[in-house]
Amino acid sequence: MMTCEKYKNLIEKYVEGTISDGQLAELKNHMETCESCRGEFERCVLLQDVVRQALSSRTSAEQAGASLLDKISSETNHPLAPARYGTALFAGKRAPIAAGILLAIGLFLGFTIGRAGNPAQIPLTAQMPMSVGKIGGTVLVRHEGSDVWQALEAGSNIYLGDTFHSTAKSVCVLKLDEESTLELNQNSMLVLKLYNGQTQFFLERGECTASLESPHGPFFISTPNGRVEALGTEFTVTVTDE
Amino acid sequence: MAGELKQNMAGDRQLIRAALLGETSAFGAIVERYWNMVVALALSKVSDAAEAEDIAQESFLKAYSQLAGLRNPSHFAGWLSKITMQQCSNSLRRTVRCSRALGCRATPIEALEEQPAMTANPGLTQNQIHFVRQTVRGLPEKFRTMIVMRFVADLSTVQIAEQLGKRPGTVRVLLHRAYKLLRKDLAPLLEEVKL
Repeated sequence: MMTCEKYKNLIEKYVEGTISDGQLAELKNHMETCESCRGEFERCVLLQDVVRQALSSRTSAEQAGASLLDKISSETNHPLAPARYGTALFAGKRAPIAAGILLAIGLFLGFTIGRAGNPAQIPLTAQMPMSVGKIGGTVLVRHEGSDVWQALEAGSNIYLGDTFHSTAKSVCVLKLDEESTLELNQNSMLVLKLYNGQTQFFLERGECTASLESPHGPFFISTPNGRVEALGTEFTVTVTDE
Repeated sequence: MAGELKQNMAGDRQLIRAALLGETSAFGAIVERYWNMVVALALSKVSDAAEAEDIAQESFLKAYSQLAGLRNPSHFAGWLSKITMQQCSNSLRRTVRCSRALGCRATPIEALEEQPAMTANPGLTQNQIHFVRQTVRGLPEKFRTMIVMRFVADLSTVQIAEQLGKRPGTVRVLLHRAYKLLRKDLAPLLEEVKL
């Protein structure tokens, strides 16, 4: 039995096509005396033969080769383009390379347009008509790229990148349009940002109350803890240290 | 065996280089080398022999037109087998569309006559051939490719692994599983043929 185990492995190697000539000769020698291994080997050969026959072509390989060459020469008047230097290097990688180039162009354009559309001193009125409404107490504003805080005045322009800071017992109302307002309560800080082409209100701390006309489009207020979407017409967002 | 493998791969590389330099007869030699494998792959997916040969022709024409894009000429057989499987899928889609549009129907097995099949090796009857093809088609695709590459193209598991970019151990396992399934399903036919 031990010896047959060895020859069973050789039969497996035969199935895999990795048997050497010497091993095959040894196996054949053994099969002359071992009926079990001979039966097993014959079944393997038969199975291969049956599959090969069933999947064989009606046309011989030589005929097929000649017929295909005729087809190639009749369909193409010129021979196949020879491989140029570098072809093998980039062969099959053209699509990813092209995609990479397009992505780079897209990123560059997006960056350039984003920069062009996001200067420090462009009034927001073009995108969302806004102005400063009522102010109570002292509310400060700092423009993008500046370190100087200025006192906010009613009716003054609002710029993208502005940061509003309401001091204690102060409040200011930003008029988003005729019907909608955003009220910044005391001790709060609100930043106007551009995100995905939309003006974004980022409440860093404090509290603000939005009163929106009905119906209104998507309206969000972002906070360090998440983004709040307005579903109704009036809502208050508070950011606390807790 | 390793020497034979190197010889085959080197042969493919040389033929492909010559074909790329405009020597079409070199591509003819490639067709001769892999024609049976491609037809068998097609027959392992579609039932009609003429359709399988059409698919084989289309596959070689596609391979010829995309030859310059082949990254590693040593993997030609694996690359060609993928093209063939893709062509089979395209053909099956076309057939489904045609049958839906025209209401075509496939010939039932009962209608096939018991006569020697039109193959290069007419040893099996048409029904037996149909049974074997149906059994092979019932295998998962990865098994079918292994069986065809091993039994028809006569590539060893090491060569198949090289062609398909898999580990030889993986190919061995897949081949033995496929082999086991085939032996089980074809057992009655093997008994019949042996007699």
